Amino acid sequence: MIMLKIIVSAVIISLSAFGFCGTSQAFHSGGVAECGGCHSMHTPAPGGSFLLVGTDQSSTCLSCHEHAGDTGPSSYHISTAEADMPSGVAPLQRTPGGDFGWLKKTYSFTVRGTTTTEDGATHGHNIIAVDKGYAVDPVNATAPGGTFPSAQLACNSCHDPHGQYRRLSTSVIAKAGAPIIGSGSYDTSTAPAAGQAVGVYRLLAGNGYTKASATFSGVPVAVAPASYNRTEAVTQTRVAYGTSIAGGHTTWGNWCSTCHPRMHSTGNYVHPVDKSFNSLLAQTYNQYKSSGDMTGSTATAYLSLVPFAENISSYATLATHAKSDDSYLTGASSQVKVNCISCHRAHASGWEYGLRWNMEGEFMTYAGLWPGTDTTPAVPQFHRGRTGAETQSAYYDRPASKFAVYQRVLCNKCHAKD
Amino acid sequence: MKKRIRHKTILLMNISLLAFGGAYAGANVTGSYLYNLSDFGGNIPYDWSRLAVDRERDEVYVLYKNYINVFNSSGMQVYTFGDDEYLGHIIDVAIDRKGDILLLVYENTKTPVLIHCNFRGVPASKKEISDLYPEFPGFRPNRMIYRNGNLYLASTRQKKIVVTDPDGNFREGYDIEPMLELSEEEKKKVIDIEMIGFSVDSDGNMLFTIPVLFKVFILSPDRKLAYFGKPGGAPGKFGILGGVIRDSQGNFIVTDKLKATVMVFDRDYNYITQFGFYGLRPENLVAPDDIVIDRDNRLYITQGRRRGVSVYKLTYD
Repeated sequence: MIMLKIIVSAVIISLSAFGFCGTSQAFHSGGVAECGGCHSMHTPAPGGSFLLVGTDQSSTCLSCHEHAGDTGPSSYHISTAEADMPSGVAPLQRTPGGDFGWLKKTYSFTVRGTTTTEDGATHGHNIIAVDKGYAVDPVNATAPGGTFPSAQLACNSCHDPHGQYRRLSTSVIAKAGAPIIGSGSYDTSTAPAAGQAVGVYRLLAGNGYTKASATFSGVPVAVAPASYNRTEAVTQTRVAYGTSIAGGHTTWGNWCSTCHPRMHSTGNYVHPVDKSFNSLLAQTYNQYKSSGDMTGSTATAYLSLVPFAENISSYATLATHAKSDDSYLTGASSQVKVNCISCHRAHASGWEYGLRWNMEGEFMTYAGLWPGTDTTPAVPQFHRGRTGAETQSAYYDRPASKFAVYQRVLCNKCHAKD
Repeated sequence: MKKRIRHKTILLMNISLLAFGGAYAGANVTGSYLYNLSDFGGNIPYDWSRLAVDRERDEVYVLYKNYINVFNSSGMQVYTFGDDEYLGHIIDVAIDRKGDILLLVYENTKTPVLIHCNFRGVPASKKEISDLYPEFPGFRPNRMIYRNGNLYLASTRQKKIVVTDPDGNFREGYDIEPMLELSEEEKKKVIDIEMIGFSVDSDGNMLFTIPVLFKVFILSPDRKLAYFGKPGGAPGKFGILGGVIRDSQGNFIVTDKLKATVMVFDRDYNYITQFGFYGLRPENLVAPDDIVIDRDNRLYITQGRRRGVSVYKLTYD
């Protein structure tokens, strides 16, 4: 028995020397992941780059972040495998950024004798992932409103795959200064103590990160609820977006405008970006419940289909607002900001241009139903070739009854012209 | 408890040998590429499809986009059915001893049901799974395997396995998560700790992979959980795990999506060999994922990049 104890102790000590300490942490842990998880020192993909084992960067990411056989939203998956999206079945993931699978869902419909095809490629950012069937944007040679070449768009155009950007205990973002102890993306993330850091939100690119013609100036502030890839049939998923330009941070609009500079309202005649609501807009947002119904209240006004950035830079405060159980639905103040993600999903959506709702017709719901080839066949301009279930999926499974019987588009959440 | 400690000690010692690169003098195993599953038009460009094997009749089933294609032992498609909207969204397929076909289906993409079909794929009966297992409320399986008279239903996201008779009646259930003995930090992100590969060996052991832990797990029917694996680029270490099965010799066959290899480990978890490797030649693999094996030790492996299902033959010295 004593000998057995000695053997066990020796084995454990020897294993510790080689880094085996029970089960591993989840892969990224807020920073650079296991090197061998993406690169191979001796058997990389022939003709590839960076000693990666996948054909390209995004294919490497999707080796983990897409999985065939899912039946619904599943943890860290941000793309649905083609095998799981037969005709009539929408992509399955429900992350706030959206499911890249929508890029593969092309729809056709006929209105008054004219057939229109809505190319899936219009549904979001066309990352190139050869192994997973994602190809370069067939229409835009460069980022709309910018010069970033579409032929170079990949996951690592926006995310730092090595996760070098970190949030120090002072909330300053830096590339060094303290070791990263874990993810900083979630309401459950540990606050870094002095001498510690956590990863920046979603390993996003930070100040000085350059890809092609684009160089980022900082990372935006946000905190997500730990349960973020989930249906919103019953409760909403609220990512608490914040605002800061201090200590390595930038605003959400400025961050997106790294590649889309002419889409930002600073110096361009476009919809305001990074601008504060005024009191009238805030009042409208908070009172608006649905078309024709302005009986809402500030305490329950938040709608994740039209999110905003709070004028808050404190991660601790934002963490108390990042919820997936509807326990914090407080609406807008006059200080919250409208930005790109108020209307678009960062990855892809069920609608053109990665919009959070269908802008191609005046009605979102029709006769109390989600438009579909099966539910409202007489109004193809509203279903645009989707089944009713697919339309509902694009709204993250909300029942149509959450809105008006004839609900107009969600520009009206802020502008209430309906 | 003593047994459990001893079991883990043996495992640790085995993994220790791997860490030190200990040589293994077991039987050599070779994986030789045979062909891709085809129809009369040539290779079928599946992309990460789902597989099932019918050992009794020596046929392989491929589920892809709601179609089920049946292939003979020469890898040629001989029958196809599915894409009937009334069936719902087919998630997995299994074949029982009589040759009847079992379908795991989500009706309206939401409600899991078990559909019993005849050998032509014509439905004969249907059961709602949520009604069947009160011990596992909200159980949403996405994998289904028939083995030795048992039907194994697994929810890789919920990390639960239910064993039933071929009609779906409950026999045994396993909640994997508590067995993993996760640290407090890991429990915070337990949602990310997901099973990916899943299979059942001839002894009824349930095999699965958890890529974020870089490990292959073996759950015996008497609830003993063993595991092996370590991250790394060297042969025998794991990049991003895909599927796992056991061959007729008791070896563990593991796919690695990132390294684009099929790795073979003996029954004591010693690394033996790997084959495949990234490339566009017929014998290469791109992001190999699901894997099944037939009674003649032919491996069927799904891939990305629309490279279909590659078939390899295992031979032993």
